Amino acid sequence: MSATSSVISERPAHASHDAATEPDPLHGVEVRPGPMEQFTYNDAVVRKFAFAILLWGVVAMLVGLIVALQLVLPVAAETVVGGVRPFAFLDGLLPFLYETPWLNFGRLRPLHTNAAIFAFAGNAIFAAVYYSTQRLCKARMWSDTLSNLHFWGWQAIIVAAALTLPLGYTQSKEYAELEWPIDVAIAVVWVGFFGVNFMMTLLTRRERHMYVALWFYIATIVTVAVLHVFNSLAIPAGALKSYSVYAGVQDAMVQWWYGHNAVAFFLTTPFLGLMYYFLPKAAERPVYSYRLSIVHFWSLVFMYIWAGPHHLHYTALPQWASTLGMLFSLMLWMPSWGGMINGLLTLRGAWHKVAADPVLKFFVVGITFYGMATFEGPMLSIKSINALSHYTDWTIAHVHGGALGWNGFMTFGMLYWLAPRLFQSRTGALWSRRLAETHFWVGTIGILMYIVPIYWAGITQGLMWRAFDESGALRFPDFVETVMKIMPMYWIRVIGGSLFLLGMIMCAVNVLMTWTLRPSRYAEPVQSAPALGAVYRDPPKPASRLHANTEFGHRGDVFLQGLWHRTWERLPVKFTVWVVIAVLVASALELIPMVVAPMFSTAWREKNIPRIASVQPYTPLELAGRDVYVAEGCYNCHSQMVRPIWAETKRYGEYSKPGEFAYDHPFQWGSRRIGPDLARIGGLRSYDWHVAHLENPRMVPGSIMPSYKHLSHEKLDFKAIQRRVNAMAMLGVPYGEAVKGDNAAQMARDQAESIAAEIATQGGPTGLEDTKMIALVAYLQRLGTDLHAPAPAEAGAAK
Amino acid sequence: MSHTKAADPLLNHEYDGIREYDNPTPGWWHVLFLLTIIFSFFYFLYYEINPESATNESNLQAARVAQTKRIFGAVGELSPDEATIQKMRGNAQFLEIASGIFLGNCAQCHARDGTGGTGVNLTDDAYKNVNRVEDIYAVITRGAGGQAMPAWENRLSQNERVILAAFVANLRGSATGGKAPEGKEIPPWPPIPAPESK
Repeated sequence: MSATSSVISERPAHASHDAATEPDPLHGVEVRPGPMEQFTYNDAVVRKFAFAILLWGVVAMLVGLIVALQLVLPVAAETVVGGVRPFAFLDGLLPFLYETPWLNFGRLRPLHTNAAIFAFAGNAIFAAVYYSTQRLCKARMWSDTLSNLHFWGWQAIIVAAALTLPLGYTQSKEYAELEWPIDVAIAVVWVGFFGVNFMMTLLTRRERHMYVALWFYIATIVTVAVLHVFNSLAIPAGALKSYSVYAGVQDAMVQWWYGHNAVAFFLTTPFLGLMYYFLPKAAERPVYSYRLSIVHFWSLVFMYIWAGPHHLHYTALPQWASTLGMLFSLMLWMPSWGGMINGLLTLRGAWHKVAADPVLKFFVVGITFYGMATFEGPMLSIKSINALSHYTDWTIAHVHGGALGWNGFMTFGMLYWLAPRLFQSRTGALWSRRLAETHFWVGTIGILMYIVPIYWAGITQGLMWRAFDESGALRFPDFVETVMKIMPMYWIRVIGGSLFLLGMIMCAVNVLMTWTLRPSRYAEPVQSAPALGAVYRDPPKPASRLHANTEFGHRGDVFLQGLWHRTWERLPVKFTVWVVIAVLVASALELIPMVVAPMFSTAWREKNIPRIASVQPYTPLELAGRDVYVAEGCYNCHSQMVRPIWAETKRYGEYSKPGEFAYDHPFQWGSRRIGPDLARIGGLRSYDWHVAHLENPRMVPGSIMPSYKHLSHEKLDFKAIQRRVNAMAMLGVPYGEAVKGDNAAQMARDQAESIAAEIATQGGPTGLEDTKMIALVAYLQRLGTDLHAPAPAEAGAAK
Repeated sequence: MSHTKAADPLLNHEYDGIREYDNPTPGWWHVLFLLTIIFSFFYFLYYEINPESATNESNLQAARVAQTKRIFGAVGELSPDEATIQKMRGNAQFLEIASGIFLGNCAQCHARDGTGGTGVNLTDDAYKNVNRVEDIYAVITRGAGGQAMPAWENRLSQNERVILAAFVANLRGSATGGKAPEGKEIPPWPPIPAPESK
């Protein structure tokens, strides 16, 4: 069937004629087909999503390049070669890059990740879903209004993210940073517009059975909704401020249940669906194995959910949860590879086409990166390997292999295949096939130049952190030394990233030029297909193929022949319900003992998160300082989690205990140590050291930290503190007197004045008592100190 | 994979022109999948059900004991008195270890060469809370000047604080310049005793 312009020949992807065509045991009978109906596809919305991919792709990668540069420029500026400073010209630029609050690494890095995931990959998902679902269902998307609301709603969310993140409005949960009003909008757009539109299209389809791509779309839509809603639960404490309802260990567990499955259900399942549609279309080859797609789909959906805690190995998370996370990650290896096998083996007999077609080249490399990333993922989840890799650039290299290689290249392949069809190109082809070829090579080299040095940097730094000399002392006690060591690798990364961005720009040019080849009015070819009749007869239940066996054996063999699944495939509601059950059961088994049970049972709490009597809530001023820490995105570079590993306790002090985070809404454990861990920083420096350091971090020679001078000028909003304390109290934090009247603000002022006085006596600047600086320093000085503090008397602890 | 095309059974359905083979899932795929499941089962049994298995905490404790024994095994617990600190001032091996502790914990405020930053200059002859070498130990342990000098009692072991005190004592006069002297000038340390011959 020719679905788009007649110029483009779209032969069905039939196998060569010598393929066996046996009677199909899965083929039922349409008893009474419905009336023949005529319809068109809504490609206008797909075109919009395609443009959005281009725009946000360039933005996401540009911001990535800026943050990559921020990590290398301060050292470059100071480099002296033969008595000359070759990069002295940077001196004028650095103050701008390092002292502009909204340009700070901590605020821009979440913008980079959010733009890459939700804007670039997100719009790619929607383009793929909207294009393929209509054709796989032989039905127009159910509602043009919902399609448009989905498109514009999602772009509005992206714009809101691009405005709020640099301004410091963040929940600080990775890849879920957006503040609560935007979270609400995401839920509405995802479920109300996208989900309803998609499910209604399934229900009004004219194709009896759902193809595997649609299964993956279903899993994507329901699971992302569940993840987003439960992870984002928060108590608002202002128009753009909220506190996660979970604290510490539980917040970490929920966050990485979300974070890992954002990878699974936002960056994996929809792209597998994309692969299952666009790869056989582009290769004009049948999919390698229907059975494999069933097995790997269900195993993937059920097992992925459990793997989240592998992001929390050796942390204060109970060991059993961490072990479960590791084991399910290992078991995920083959379900993940099922998708890779089905992709690559679909190209059997079509490799000559790969050599000739840039679309297939992108797909092959994309699927290969998927295979590499899903081998590496289980490997990194092995605890002993994770002990080395965690908090280093190894993770960064791993995710960029996945994001640039798998998500990026699958998106580019799809765009190049779609562009001439969507824009009904007059030449019947892409504007420039050669430019697409060039993009392929530039992009591939770009990925390699990004990930290889960053793997190297990660392993190098990880080994340096744990190195001891012969005397038994840390070999590199000075953290900055381990940062200096990897600077050359960071420079190569900048080059690799630039190449990848260059490729993205080539893609944008090529697609836009193809758009100029469009006809004056897009043709809307009219399709016709019979509506689904009321009665469909499944084929007879297959007989067991076994000769002599038990009843159980025979039943098993009938089950393995898979007719039951074929039946599910024509029942979208039942299919969706089973996906929801798989996801919820897996989530419940892990989250109930860890997150829900401890809320209701002291025994469960003491087992998983034993309380520590000396751990008390932050004072109102410290809480305000913690908000500054969150707003500045400090967690992007500093962890707050000392692992029970000898090298780590030597460097940072006593390892972190679960009970220490009882009042941390949200947790701030971090995932990367571009700077040192801060879990035990409290009391280790003088107040004036903190002020001097935050204003000019490069007083530590070699430091690449940006300046926070602006905090010494910005006034702290004391009036807002009461609302925040009250919100925390609502979450069960025992604030006692601080929740009464305006006590919190006054308590904060008193503490701020005494700290300001202390700073003055230590020779630091004066006049800081009403600034954000004081609050942040107060928070930093509290970090990790409660563990050794005397437990308050019982009377004092109660209200 | 050595399938011939002719042997691939094609399923009799088609979606927008896409067809599927009825190929079996590869055997090695099943084997590896099963192996990961079996491995996981026994791993969980061994590490999470078995009460004898090592935990993160027990591993850390073992490392702590082994490392402490390795470094300080020969000398046992060092007492924070003048004689011990004086002896350590002449012990090159422990001073080397102490220099690492200084770099990791003290250099942020006192500079890598001890000439001071937000913290006092440790290379001049003026001291604020120190008259004798064992006072250095006391300041490291409990801090000084309100919150200005932190207490390291919970962070460094007693032995580490003793050798660090010896190292800091030796910084005196090791460099010139840096932060202006604070406090009052005190008499020189007693001479370093000659190393005991064994």
